[in-house]
Amino acid sequence: MTSIPAPPAPSNVQGLIVRGYTHPYSTHMLFHFPSRGAAAAFVQALLPYLQSGEDWGDAKPVMLLNISLTCNGIQAATALTSNDLVQFPITFRLGPESSDSQQALFDLGGSAPANWWAKNFKTADLHCVVHTYALDAASMDAIVTHVANAAQTAGVTELFALAGNLRLVQVQLPDEKIHFGYRDGISEPALSWPVEGEPYDSSTLDNFVIGYPTGSPFAPGPSGNNAAGQFAKDGCYNAFRIIAQDVAGFEKFLDDTAPAVTAKLGMSTADAREWIAAKLVGRWRNGSPLEISPDAPDPATCESEGFGYLLDMDGMKCPFAAHTRVSNPRDQQLFPADEPVPRIIRRGAPYGAPADVDPNADRGLIGLFLCGALAAQFELVYGWMNQNTFSQVFSPNFDTQDAVLANRQVAGVDTSFTMPTAKGAIQVTLPQFLTTRGTAYCLLPSIASLEAVAAQAV
Amino acid sequence: MANPLSMYVPIKQDAQSQAIAAQLATQFVSNVQATLDQSQIVHYAKMVLIPNPSGSGTLALLLSTEFDGSMNSYLKFFWNNGSTQEAFAGLAALALVPPDPPVTDLTGFETFVNATNISQPADLYQAYTKTVLQINATVAAEQQPASVPDTADTA
Repeated sequence: MTSIPAPPAPSNVQGLIVRGYTHPYSTHMLFHFPSRGAAAAFVQALLPYLQSGEDWGDAKPVMLLNISLTCNGIQAATALTSNDLVQFPITFRLGPESSDSQQALFDLGGSAPANWWAKNFKTADLHCVVHTYALDAASMDAIVTHVANAAQTAGVTELFALAGNLRLVQVQLPDEKIHFGYRDGISEPALSWPVEGEPYDSSTLDNFVIGYPTGSPFAPGPSGNNAAGQFAKDGCYNAFRIIAQDVAGFEKFLDDTAPAVTAKLGMSTADAREWIAAKLVGRWRNGSPLEISPDAPDPATCESEGFGYLLDMDGMKCPFAAHTRVSNPRDQQLFPADEPVPRIIRRGAPYGAPADVDPNADRGLIGLFLCGALAAQFELVYGWMNQNTFSQVFSPNFDTQDAVLANRQVAGVDTSFTMPTAKGAIQVTLPQFLTTRGTAYCLLPSIASLEAVAAQAV
Repeated sequence: MANPLSMYVPIKQDAQSQAIAAQLATQFVSNVQATLDQSQIVHYAKMVLIPNPSGSGTLALLLSTEFDGSMNSYLKFFWNNGSTQEAFAGLAALALVPPDPPVTDLTGFETFVNATNISQPADLYQAYTKTVLQINATVAAEQQPASVPDTADTA
């Protein structure tokens, strides 16, 4: 039996891992390191704003940042050799464009890696993402300017993820919503520390932070006592994924499918639209879960987490392929190879002007999906979304898809979506709602490792 | 759609290693049967002894499988399972060039499997697109009495 080691020191873990910042402003800046010396000077200039996981009490920082490095970024910024880097998980080393990763992500059609980053640069050239946060617009401008100036001074090249050489800037939408109108960020892992003798819990911090062999089946690594293990310890992986959302297409889908619901259930068109929207996600747009509030959104349940699906095994409340039921099946039994349900720490934010401000703007989600094992956590769940193969109850022929997130061009899948009701099931065909704009597999290194990068005399 | 894994591991040439390799190949199916059944993602798996060019003894072990989905996403299951972990550990122990550092955790296991894999998804011919789950479900359905399917309105 594995004994539980002491938890990581919050002062050595980047803050983004252990808490979701509630700063309303964020900008995610991308960089390429031309040399180790340039990387060191750049990171050195950022250290004053680097936020750890320590409790800030009442002194919430006005501005702060965290730093992600890709495997190529680590190679460029450190003295780690190829023999050291091979100790990192292969999924991290090869990145999201690898043939194995694409067997889970299925970035097909417009989402193909060849189209990523608006074709401004190649994923392999992305070395570093600086995640900046601020409490107000002026502070946001100040820290972005500081980071951009630091890059220029150090000779580090800024890369731009979006067409028109635009930065990834968070847009302020009301009530923590995303562009499709749903409240986001409700269900997050508890990130407590495991207790000796207690049952395994996939939401504890040891499933995410590298270097703590607690017996977690996800075993975040590398954990060896070598250069790679020492650099990675207290770090966490970050699947950084930019996802464009077709808001007009989503609303048209609701318009087009509402008449069938109206005819079947006798509700108004407006109510039918919201009913379908709730069935697609498993929560009403205000956040109320269908399992607790099956008939209408309820402000009292908009953040509710205390529910399972075992009393809804016919999908009458929440359809099996609803997004939240696929991405977190909770108490439902999975096939042994898929157990336990992996949890993901989500730290995303919406980007792009809302449709009512600029109908033609590119808009979507800046996704930061944090995990301890990119393959066994992030990619496993992504694979489930692209094809519901993980449980007997989800898909009788094991070929349906997540109602919102999947790529509809995956070979052999069934793109229909079934919404059971007491008056018979309603079935619709799902269009493509999302387009991948870019993905990078990063490490959020420990504070000590980033300080070591900065301290290099090269 | 299935994907291939072809782990090619040149092995030590001493008599004991050669004997263990033969035993590993002989016992492979019985040792991993239950785990591969439980996984429901593996179509076929075999351990093959690759003979030396001289015709005497074994040059390498080849573990060849076809499976559904992304390989690395599912290696956790095989690493955390005793019988398959033993089979892979046996392979690593016989390797002419052993994994360095030794395989002691999931990350090391992923590295070893990928480093010795000599096939890619694009290499595989397949006559059908069904997954193991779909095939097993079809077989199970054929063994059950016919039932009336649930009907659904289509929008």
